[in-house]
Amino acid sequence: MDAERNKAKGPRPGEGTAKQMEGLDLESVIERARGHDAEALEEIYRRYVRRVFGLCRYMLDSRESAEDATSEVFLKLQRSIDSYDGSIPFPRWLLRVAGNQCIDALRRRQRGRQVIAEVEDATVIEAPSSELSPLGAVIRTEERAEVRDAIARLPVNYRAPLVLRYYSELSYDEIAQQLDLQRNYVAALIFRAKQELRRKLTHGSK
Amino acid sequence: MECYSEQTCAIFVDGELGVDEARRLRDHLATCQRCRELVDALRAENRILGESLHELPQEAASPAIFPRLRWSWLWGDLAAMAAVLALGSIVSVWIHELRIPEALEWLNPFSVNGLTNLIFNLSYYFTHGGTAMLADYAAVVGGLFLLLGGSALLLGRRWRLYQPGLRLLIVLLTLSLPSFALERRHGEFVTVAANETVDDTLLAVGNTVRVEGVVNGDLLAFGRILEVRGSVKGDLVSFAKRTVVSGTVEGRIYNFSQSLDLDGQLGHSIYGWVQSLRVDNRSHVGDGIVVGAGDVSLEGEVKRSVTIFAGNADVSGGIGRDLTMAGGSLTLTNTARVGGNLSARVRQLKDVHIADGATIAGKRDIEVRVRKSQFMRPRFYFHQAVWLAAAMLVGWLGLVLFPAFFEACTQAVGSGWRSLGLGVGVLAGVPVVIIVAAITLVGIPVSLMLFAVYLAAIYLAKIWVGAFLGRVLLKPVGATKRDWLVGLLVGLLILSIVGFIPYLGGLLRLGMICLGLGAFSWQLYRGSRPAITA
Repeated sequence: MDAERNKAKGPRPGEGTAKQMEGLDLESVIERARGHDAEALEEIYRRYVRRVFGLCRYMLDSRESAEDATSEVFLKLQRSIDSYDGSIPFPRWLLRVAGNQCIDALRRRQRGRQVIAEVEDATVIEAPSSELSPLGAVIRTEERAEVRDAIARLPVNYRAPLVLRYYSELSYDEIAQQLDLQRNYVAALIFRAKQELRRKLTHGSK
Repeated sequence: MECYSEQTCAIFVDGELGVDEARRLRDHLATCQRCRELVDALRAENRILGESLHELPQEAASPAIFPRLRWSWLWGDLAAMAAVLALGSIVSVWIHELRIPEALEWLNPFSVNGLTNLIFNLSYYFTHGGTAMLADYAAVVGGLFLLLGGSALLLGRRWRLYQPGLRLLIVLLTLSLPSFALERRHGEFVTVAANETVDDTLLAVGNTVRVEGVVNGDLLAFGRILEVRGSVKGDLVSFAKRTVVSGTVEGRIYNFSQSLDLDGQLGHSIYGWVQSLRVDNRSHVGDGIVVGAGDVSLEGEVKRSVTIFAGNADVSGGIGRDLTMAGGSLTLTNTARVGGNLSARVRQLKDVHIADGATIAGKRDIEVRVRKSQFMRPRFYFHQAVWLAAAMLVGWLGLVLFPAFFEACTQAVGSGWRSLGLGVGVLAGVPVVIIVAAITLVGIPVSLMLFAVYLAAIYLAKIWVGAFLGRVLLKPVGATKRDWLVGLLVGLLILSIVGFIPYLGGLLRLGMICLGLGAFSWQLYRGSRPAITA
């Protein structure tokens, strides 16, 4: 654990060159990155790698595939940054790209099939009502770790929409588009994911 | 009014309910205490979810991902280079549909024929200390390549000449594409008839290649059997199972065959790596011979020096100058003549038989290599120290130039079986690819580059394995360059000591090469995976 922490503090490649970038505002960094400025791209990497990695880690099963997906997101950024038009905040856009990357990775693993198949009629959005009430309002730090742990244990069809909604903060429509599902079905999945989570957390604490 | 379902409330809290329905629900909330409480609880739940998720798990605090951005520029350049080469091959007129001819089946390790050949050659190779030799060779060529290339890159990076430098390299490589003044023949049976003259360089690919006429240029031959009965004015380059030269080759012979028989006349030298080499008593070699072979039989005349690395060598002909031999056993018969010195390095003194009638003009220097003795000689430790220093220098250079890649390769060694399996495949497969690429001729620059990379990777393999081993043993607290290098030093020391264990050492070295190669290939694969829609 200590080693991990120290590692995070230790010098990283490219840190020295990125010094003058640190002060720059995001817009000018993005502008420079558009011109394929390697230092600007590194600066974006430095600022957002943790958030992107976090998403990939929640979405994918192993640390290694999360690392792969993260590095692919930033590798592709050189080209894909041209398609960023500034209509949405950059972090949100980046997380959307990362989400797509993860879904691609999941899809590849399932040999091109849909990550989440609509097994039921998507028009039936009403899920069975839950006897479990929503999670309590006050939650301590250590309990948050439990929540994360429970999310990690959710099956991918629950986990993916849940993470995309509450980590990437995507709308139902965006999630539906990414996962190639109907909007109603996404709503149902998110609702069921929460119920499953409550069930896991209640059983876990007992 | 009836209450809304929990799911509808959840969608409302997510801000995803339709405008009209959301307004109705808000109206309802004003009057319904139960629903208001539910909505509040759902809001709190969302907040918990968001907070929990954004507080990243421990491992996300230090993702072991390093910026590979600079690398990708390099990939861009490599892609450009590949494109240039691809374009060159499309433009060239004589590109036919290429398929591996049946004659080359023995090169294909996946066929029965090829497999027996591979096993045969490998077993021979290992009994003759091939691993060590390959490693040494790789150390020299790979180290040189890395130091030159690395320094160029380092300098280029400082002065921002990095990319132009690479582009220059591309142009040079493009220009070095083989000239197209070349005649190409392929088929089951390729012949140059007795009354025929080929004025260009001839590339012949076939089961049997027979030259009875005259080739005025060089002859490049790939096949099962190659017979030169006529004459070749230039050099002869052959990859064949059996090569017989009973005519004349005025240039040099570069040969990679299972057997090479020279019955005719050769203007210059033989360079080769063969299973068996026979220089018949009617033959004459205008210059010298440098070969690595299982069995060598020299019955003819060689004008200058002979250097052989062989399991067995029999000399009954004449050698104008020195005879240098290293390997299993050496026999000089009564008719043998050596115009210069004789030096032999063998395991035991009785492995050298010199008949009384044999003439040796110069000194006889027979060195008995006793395995134990190398540890007694200071030179051995000096060599090891130089070797270690060179490896450390290369490791440091690699870490400075490609920190991410070197770090990742070191980590990939840890995947054990994956790296090992991949490494075995790469170690065996790449030579096949190199040969197949060389056959296309346009692919020769590619195959040469691949060969250089292959040797470099064999050399680097021990660096990654060493660094990994060092890290496992030392468990450094940080992840600085210094830690990596200290780990490398410790790892390399252990590896070189372990490598000298009799019998097992060779196997361990091979395993180490495979591990490192596998890790390298894996990282190359990871770094170059094609892009999918973003």
